[in-house]
Amino acid sequence: MADETSSQANPALAGLPKHALERLQGLREAGQSGGIFTSDLSVNEFLMVREAGFEPLGLVVGSCIYHVGIQYGSWGQNQELNVISQAMYQARELAMTRMEQEALTLMADGVVGVRLEVKRLGWDSDILEFMAIGTAIAHSAGHPGFKGPKGMPFTSDLSGQDFWMLLRAGHRPLAMVMGSCVYHVAHQGVFKAMGNVGRNVEITQFTQAMYDARELAMERMQNEAKESGADGVVGVQLHEGSHNWQPHVIEFFAVGTAVKPIEDKALIPEPASPQIVIPVND
Amino acid sequence: MSLLGRVLGQNQDPDRQRHQAEQLARNQAWETALTNQTLPDFVKQRLADTKSGKLPWVSTGSVGALLSQRSHGIHPLGMVSGNCWYHYGYSWTRGHYDGWHTAIDRMQHEATLMGANAVVDVKMSATRMEGTGEDQMDYAVLGTAVRIAGLATPRVPVIATVSALEFARLMESGILPVGLAIGAHYNWHYSYRNAAGQGSWWNQELRELSDFMTDVRRAALSQLATDAARMGTGVLARVQFSELLRGEPLEQDPRQRFLGRHIAFGTAVLHEPRRHISLGLRPVFSVSDGKMTPVMPTEKEII
Repeated sequence: MADETSSQANPALAGLPKHALERLQGLREAGQSGGIFTSDLSVNEFLMVREAGFEPLGLVVGSCIYHVGIQYGSWGQNQELNVISQAMYQARELAMTRMEQEALTLMADGVVGVRLEVKRLGWDSDILEFMAIGTAIAHSAGHPGFKGPKGMPFTSDLSGQDFWMLLRAGHRPLAMVMGSCVYHVAHQGVFKAMGNVGRNVEITQFTQAMYDARELAMERMQNEAKESGADGVVGVQLHEGSHNWQPHVIEFFAVGTAVKPIEDKALIPEPASPQIVIPVND
Repeated sequence: MSLLGRVLGQNQDPDRQRHQAEQLARNQAWETALTNQTLPDFVKQRLADTKSGKLPWVSTGSVGALLSQRSHGIHPLGMVSGNCWYHYGYSWTRGHYDGWHTAIDRMQHEATLMGANAVVDVKMSATRMEGTGEDQMDYAVLGTAVRIAGLATPRVPVIATVSALEFARLMESGILPVGLAIGAHYNWHYSYRNAAGQGSWWNQELRELSDFMTDVRRAALSQLATDAARMGTGVLARVQFSELLRGEPLEQDPRQRFLGRHIAFGTAVLHEPRRHISLGLRPVFSVSDGKMTPVMPTEKEII
């Protein structure tokens, strides 16, 4: 057949499956008649997910369009705006849950590369659109040891590369965990502000506000990780942002992937210690 | 000589007249070719001369990509391209599907004429031109047609968005990028109720709109899967565009109108699920100045 002759002539073709060789020579026009996977992986991520022993199943999405309630902070007080905090958390949670449900119907072990996007809709500043999007994957050999908490698919915002490295490090992802805190930073009184004119001085009130908001977001994320039965949280990012709210209102959003050591010793891949390289082309 | 005289004089200049005639003939050739879904003779000639080696080969790839010529037998033939200036009469979303596919088909046709096995390094670009109106744009693709040593010439080459080097690496692991798949869907949602929760003080999910967007996205992704299934066994769709807009109410219709759309672009791949050739990867830690995360944040971030 064509693949034998061609791989003799060009050894680089040895790895390609027969149907791919046929396609390259125009002997086959269409793809496989069987199932097809969709994903939002890059080429490299696809390689790495497979290298880790998993197969992509499908692109999974969860949407939530949310009307955020109205809450004002008192002018001179540092305080969490709990109505808005709850809105930001609940809406993300809904989007994530719907994405997980899609993954569950695909009988996935988990979802990698989850991106959580928040967009403000143009016509109303109180409406936010949340979208969770990721790629559902399953272990090639169907091993059950990679499921998330309560037998649900795990979720993770790790890239394909990170996923491979995480397994190499002897850990497996459990759940994407997050904590949100929307905070109203108190305004300074006029007299207080005037008192600071010409002085180098810390505004303790503002320091406290930023500290407290960040602390609340991190606490919540850490508690969520504890509930999922995790040992640790990796790749945590702390985002600060305002979704076009009134001045002095800021959201701290902490997000990361809760992980735990792989229980089944047979599933732990060989450890890989990174080699340090100096690229010469950039 | 008056200005008018100079203009007229120029028009009577034989060189200029010949140039005009040539341009007219060229325009005519393009028009006929596009109508018949083929290429003008002068393009065919250039492609044939490139194929036979009468003209030098041309590659959009880097010097590094040339390495794959000796290691994997991937030989560059020539630069191929296609474009489609598209006016969307009823749907911008569908325009993306049709416009890109037309451009790709044209590029694929050029590569076929050169006897290529694949087009690699395919770049997409969209152009809007001022003065042409908001409702139209140009979809263009550009890539390098390559021959792969040891393979017969196909009727239609595969289209790969990756570079020659990445193409080689994918081949090694048993994966073949085969084409560009697109899923584009839009829909209108009409609502009597207060779907956008206007005037509300409370936290509430706008379930009607959430469900609507979910349906729009699912339809787009299902089209993506169908489009990819004509080419391969999977699709790597990195680019996802999604939008929810509120339309002006129609006359005689009090309902609120919402337009939802989702477009996904991906590389279709052909592979054998559950058969994996290990790449024998080794993690490396780069100490390159460019990529390394600095120990200290930049001035801009902290001041």
